[in-house]
Amino acid sequence: MTALPAAPALTPPARRFRRLRRDYFGSPASALMTLASLGILLGLGWWLMNWALLDATFSAAATQAECVQAGGACWSVIAARWRVILFGIYPYDEQWRPSFACAVVAGIILLSCLPRMWSFRRLALTWGLGAAGFYILMRGGILGLSVVNEQQWGGLPLTLFIFVATAVAGMPLAILLALMRRSELPVVARVTGWIIDTIRSLPLLSILFTFAIVVPFMLPGFLIGEKLYRVICGAALFFAAYQAEIIRGGFQGIPRGQDEAAKALGLPYWQRMSRVLLPQAFRLALPATINQFVVAFMETSLVVVVGFIDLLAAGNTAYKTGEWKFAYVEVYAFVAAIYFLFVFGLSRYGAYLEARMNAGHRKE
Amino acid sequence: MDLTAPAIAIRDLNKFYGTFHALCGLSLTVRKGERVVVCGPSGSGKSTMIRCINQLEEHDSGEIRVFGTLLDDNLASIDAVRREVGMVFQHFNLFPHMTVLENCTLAPILVRKTPRAVAEALALKFLEKVRILDQASKFPGQLSGGQQQRVAIARALCMQPEILLFDEPTSALDPEMIAEVLDVMVTLANEGMTMICVTHEMGFARKVADRVIFMDKGEIVEEAAPAAFFEAPRNERTRLFLSEVLAH
Repeated sequence: MTALPAAPALTPPARRFRRLRRDYFGSPASALMTLASLGILLGLGWWLMNWALLDATFSAAATQAECVQAGGACWSVIAARWRVILFGIYPYDEQWRPSFACAVVAGIILLSCLPRMWSFRRLALTWGLGAAGFYILMRGGILGLSVVNEQQWGGLPLTLFIFVATAVAGMPLAILLALMRRSELPVVARVTGWIIDTIRSLPLLSILFTFAIVVPFMLPGFLIGEKLYRVICGAALFFAAYQAEIIRGGFQGIPRGQDEAAKALGLPYWQRMSRVLLPQAFRLALPATINQFVVAFMETSLVVVVGFIDLLAAGNTAYKTGEWKFAYVEVYAFVAAIYFLFVFGLSRYGAYLEARMNAGHRKE
Repeated sequence: MDLTAPAIAIRDLNKFYGTFHALCGLSLTVRKGERVVVCGPSGSGKSTMIRCINQLEEHDSGEIRVFGTLLDDNLASIDAVRREVGMVFQHFNLFPHMTVLENCTLAPILVRKTPRAVAEALALKFLEKVRILDQASKFPGQLSGGQQQRVAIARALCMQPEILLFDEPTSALDPEMIAEVLDVMVTLANEGMTMICVTHEMGFARKVADRVIFMDKGEIVEEAAPAAFFEAPRNERTRLFLSEVLAH
């Protein structure tokens, strides 16, 4: 038998082309679906481009009549009111301070995302300095800065602050709850289970109300504190109850032999948890954890019900003055774009972390 | 820890899983430097017995002493025993999120408070001993089963234990990888390590064991030196078991 000549391998572009043809034009029906979908997408894109860019009005000086005549989006409302949307009722002349404060928060978040920063000392230093910087900028009272009470904070820095503080306070609490839920002591495990289930059965709104309005009646004066921090405590508790169950789910995916191997090596409880089990639990729970962060970020907008002007609420106040009442779509689009920026970044970072963690586990 | 006492002294050990009587009044003494192979059908309590020695299983009654230290409700004595008793598992149980080297240095650094540099030098020495030095910076998931089990042995050795327990160390391995793990175990045995080894590798038992123990239904049915054990088993159950494992 003579050997057949080896068939040449397809070049990558050729393979991709064949793939495309098979996936999208493999049958008349799928070809039709592909063309129809393309048509709809192009039509939508064209309409959106006209509305958002070509027919839009950008000048802050434009009036409603000019906007309506142009026919497109009226970005004038953003040009005129962006400081209200971003900073709420923070005193106008001091608004450079929340700008810097936002930059500080964004800076420490970005720094913490770098793997080379992942040591306890570096993170603690970054967050300690960052929190102090944020607080001094926002509240003032020293370094010649005038005092701006928490009640006057608003817009993006308030949203970021509530989110970051909720996560920073909620995550250690979540780990603690998850460990207690898994305790070998039946009393501890059961009571923790009840606590978690109780918190999860309450709506976040009712928890925020309770911490903002009811709790002050139950605490001695020196413990009441600023409303903002009480609300953050409530949000952190809510976050922790959900995140604790996510971490517990991660624990359940770890083979029992891991804990046994760590025990056999003589590692005491806290080192078994911190070095062997928690890192693996977090790896398994990462997709759900990122999801939980995204939800927590969205839920910051609920603080409006206890009187805080977060980013979304500030957007609402920005157009509700008579002259811009017609332009609410543009305001919401602008606010949505800001949320999108953060949440999309968070999701991409989650995907990066997953890829990075999987790299070490790859089978050859 | 009294190194002049017997390495392991078990007296009248009982263990229940629910109503199932897993260990029925078992007694066993192992001298320092002795190499004991434990065999028996599955469910006979072999694994349960050696897992009681480092308290991965709690026994219900009876007495276990490791170098004179009594294993009771005192957590400090359990910690002390675990520091001196290494264990190698059927499924390796390497920590997947750490490199081979980190797997080996974790416990010495945290438990023995060995300085990192010293712990790493020690780990490299033992990785060389199990002939896997070139894989030190890889993750367990990148290694074959035989390689992983040799790393697991090195990890146990890094704690410089007085006793090593092997719980069916070759049962989860592909046939071509069993020899490389057994070679390492033979080397350790010849160096005088105190070993209790649950295994069905009868060739290994013949070659290195001072004593072979046959267990069935939670009891020690027969124990003897390998020559006597394999050539002239006294008990009917032993004979049946040997005819089954040696048949092929």
